[in-house]
Amino acid sequence: MMLFKLAWRNIFRNKRRTVLSGIAIGIGLASLIFTDALMIGMIESMIRAATGTFLGQAQIHAAGFRETFEVEKTIHDLDNVIRQLNSDAAVKHYAVRTQAFGMITSPANVSSVIFYGIDPDMERHLSKIDEAIQKGSYLTKDTTRRLLIGSKLAETMEVDLDDRVVITTAQVNTGQLSQEMFRIGGIFHFNVKEMDSGVVFMQLGEARSIIGLGNDAHEISVTFHDIDQAGNRTLSFQNRYSEGGNKALGWRELLKELDAILELSDFTKYIVALIMFGIVALIILNTLFTSLYERLFEFGVLRAIGTRPSGMASIVLLEALSLSAVSGLFGICIGLTVTYIFSIYGIDYRGIEFAEVTLRELIYPVMTINQYIEYPLWIMLFALVAGLYPAVFAARLVPANVLRRSM
Amino acid sequence: MPHRNPSSLGHLNPVLLRNCMQNKNTELIKAIEVSKQYRSGEVTVDALNSVSLTIQRGEFTAIAGPSGSGKTTLLYMISGLDVPSSGTVILDGKPVSTMSGRELSDFRRDHIGFIFQSYNLIPVLTVRENIEYIMLLQGVPEWERRLRVSEILEEVSLGGMENRLPTQLSGGQQQRVAVARAMVSKPDIILADEPTANLDSHTGESLIEMMRQLNERRGMTFVFSTHETMIMERAKRLVLLMDGQIEKDEKRQ
Repeated sequence: MMLFKLAWRNIFRNKRRTVLSGIAIGIGLASLIFTDALMIGMIESMIRAATGTFLGQAQIHAAGFRETFEVEKTIHDLDNVIRQLNSDAAVKHYAVRTQAFGMITSPANVSSVIFYGIDPDMERHLSKIDEAIQKGSYLTKDTTRRLLIGSKLAETMEVDLDDRVVITTAQVNTGQLSQEMFRIGGIFHFNVKEMDSGVVFMQLGEARSIIGLGNDAHEISVTFHDIDQAGNRTLSFQNRYSEGGNKALGWRELLKELDAILELSDFTKYIVALIMFGIVALIILNTLFTSLYERLFEFGVLRAIGTRPSGMASIVLLEALSLSAVSGLFGICIGLTVTYIFSIYGIDYRGIEFAEVTLRELIYPVMTINQYIEYPLWIMLFALVAGLYPAVFAARLVPANVLRRSM
Repeated sequence: MPHRNPSSLGHLNPVLLRNCMQNKNTELIKAIEVSKQYRSGEVTVDALNSVSLTIQRGEFTAIAGPSGSGKTTLLYMISGLDVPSSGTVILDGKPVSTMSGRELSDFRRDHIGFIFQSYNLIPVLTVRENIEYIMLLQGVPEWERRLRVSEILEEVSLGGMENRLPTQLSGGQQQRVAVARAMVSKPDIILADEPTANLDSHTGESLIEMMRQLNERRGMTFVFSTHETMIMERAKRLVLLMDGQIEKDEKRQ
């Protein structure tokens, strides 16, 4: 207890040095806490943006469909799959779709597109197509021969609302060309290049008809009550729906680039933390050594009156621990305040595209209890490691040498 | 450090060594033909040259001599703070060369009290904590620590000042705290290096008087270095050092 008291009071002997070191370490810790919170917020926002726009949190296809996008590869036993989804407590919403490549032709231009057949009511719950409509209106159950077209594609095709376009595609099995005329019912803008320049939406029934699919579908997009159901590869969803020739994929598998970025961001976070802890260790090492050299006589006295080498080392280590604790507390306060403020007001990164995902909402840093326990503990651990060298130095001091001037 | 047979210690006569170790009841510290050389750059300085000295229990000894005569070095040697280049120091019957760093720390803690020239109190600890520190190292229970601190502060006329920091005391008061710190662990001997050097003559004289009274009342052994004639005159034994050698060793009343 006396050694702790001694160490604690020692760190406040040179207040300016302790305050400066504490501020440096504290700000480092606060920035680490804030960066972590921001990254969690950003990742959650990216996942929401990526999965909430159109993709969904998971999808079911016929096995191999995503590799070739052959229109013949439709979901096996669709009715049974839908029955399962209807009775699955984890599933929040789902939407049945067809998906095919085709050509869109206007009087002015021609372009290749992916056209989706969608159920407007189902999609309203799952995707944000209705919210992305800039001109015209979203599809309803009764709408016929109307297309929703991306803003950039509309520009390319030089078409506007109610203009006529022709969709041409190859039919299932026969491969014969099929053409249908549609009018532009709405122009959407997702601020996602691929969506805005290469995708059109039409009624599910009309898409089935033009492709010759009957009642089949290529894709069921699913959202869950808990997004972890889709992100966690070990959960049962993938197994349950990957049966009978179908394949269920969570968003991590659907968005491999985003998944890779997220894993990279975790790695980056560790690297940044390691650099930060290294800087903290150097600051503490410098502070301890400066303080130790200033008090060499005192250390000599302590050794002379019977403090064992281990006691000397303990004093230095306790000083390292005390300094890191004070700095950690300061860092926690700053980190908590800054993160809390931004978690209320958010940070505007809207419109920025990252890993093929366009951020569509304010980013709100997410506070977790780990940020305020784990990082400060790491700081203290690094402080202890940094304190080892001066501690050994103090333990090995020869009292006669350091006292020569005073005794 | 491995335990060494005393008979293997350098060129010293094993019989003499054994006799020294057997006289531990009266002989507290014995230096036998102790020499110490320091290297200062390319130059080797002979700080002590074949000095032999025995400190008996209950002595009040002054080690005197001009600056650079080896007073401080001799105090280092007889307290186990430093090891001689040649010769042997026997502390309470045990050669220093056979003691590990930890054993030496424990020996100093339990047997030697130190008073330094510039007080060297721990500035962040109060008077009470400075005095208590060594008892904490000794494992003295709290109630006894408190009692002993109060008693010793009364003895050095600092009662009521236990919660002050050293910076709130005068030089003389700080040196009294240093004396209290040295005494409180009930050591066999108190070593003081020019304890009056930083004090005015009146305060210095009263400090030496206090030390002498403690010696007479409690039988506590004091060895102190000084170059002040007035202080030398108060010693019961005077060891005069000159150029690292004992020039005179006389007992007085």
